Amino acid sequence: MTQHRGTGIGPPDEYIEAEIHRLLAEDPAVAEQGITVVRRETGLVLYGEVESAHRREEIVRRVADRFPDVPVTSEIGVIRTEAPTQIEQLP
Amino acid sequence: MVIRIAAVGDVHLDEDVVGRFRPALEELPDCADVLLLAGDLTRHGTEAEARCVAQEFGGLGVPVITVLGNHDHQCDQVPQVVKVLEDAGITVLEGTGVVLECAGGRLGVAGVKGFGGGFAGRCASDFGEPEMKAFVRTTTDSADRLAQALHSLDCDLLVALTHYAPVPDTLAGEPLEIYPFLGAYQLGQAIDSAPTALALHGHAHAGSERGVTPGGVRVRNVAHPVIKQAYSVFHVGDHLDQGEVSRLSASGT
Ligand SMILES: [Fe+2]
Ligand SMILES: [Fe+2]
Repeated sequence: MTQHRGTGIGPPDEYIEAEIHRLLAEDPAVAEQGITVVRRETGLVLYGEVESAHRREEIVRRVADRFPDVPVTSEIGVIRTEAPTQIEQLP
Repeated sequence: MVIRIAAVGDVHLDEDVVGRFRPALEELPDCADVLLLAGDLTRHGTEAEARCVAQEFGGLGVPVITVLGNHDHQCDQVPQVVKVLEDAGITVLEGTGVVLECAGGRLGVAGVKGFGGGFAGRCASDFGEPEMKAFVRTTTDSADRLAQALHSLDCDLLVALTHYAPVPDTLAGEPLEIYPFLGAYQLGQAIDSAPTALALHGHAHAGSERGVTPGGVRVRNVAHPVIKQAYSVFHVGDHLDQGEVSRLSASGT
């Protein structure tokens, strides 16, 4: 992805980051506002927590479809839904 | 007197999530008097997604009270969403309140979605373009309705339920730049205007769990990505040890 910078053939990374962010929020198939896009030497890394494995896969698929030349990896997790083992007491 | 409150927000349900929360929810009658949902029940606020919420959170054996979130407004189907939820026995609050008779006393819950605007010294002002004024007035109207709802309830324990955050404390972890989209100080002011014991909110997925209003009311961000469990349980009462966090059960499972 760093090859985009200054080559004049693609948008600078910062715009890609902004576009991914809006894509994830505004694409009806995703609608996630809590995904963070981090630029690394090796490409873009997606972080965040979603409600299902299906959504996690869909996010990576959408981003890869939209930016086929940008290496994207995902560290997105699926949020646990266990009952709590502790309570908080508030006097 | 102890009232046991279970709460979660931002479950963002659709067909792909149905069933994930249910096993934990089935335990609620043993550990809570009520379940409060802090908005963003759905992904886009469609009637179909609301039916998923009704399926997952309906018929639980404890009363379920909710406010809507911004996601529940996305498809402009709020009346349909509210109807589906209410048909499933879920109470939807918006500038309104409800009092429940619990074993530990009368629990009053006042709820409003709330809105953004930011926090003292770093907030939007009711000034300038009509769009800006409309934004800020949405916030102040919402806070006013929350204050009215809080003051209207005759109860032993008063809880404020919002989607947007009333304090910046529980946003820690979110980028500072987006705080004005995550909550507004006017909500905190409304909470402080009444004898509120606890304020629960969601919306800030990357925020943190605990905060306090300038007036000393405890605030908890119960957004699902923050609490990372099906729901949190709060025991609110006056005889308990200060801030003690104890085991829910002796089973340790
Ligand atoms: Fe949310
Ligand atoms: Fe939200």
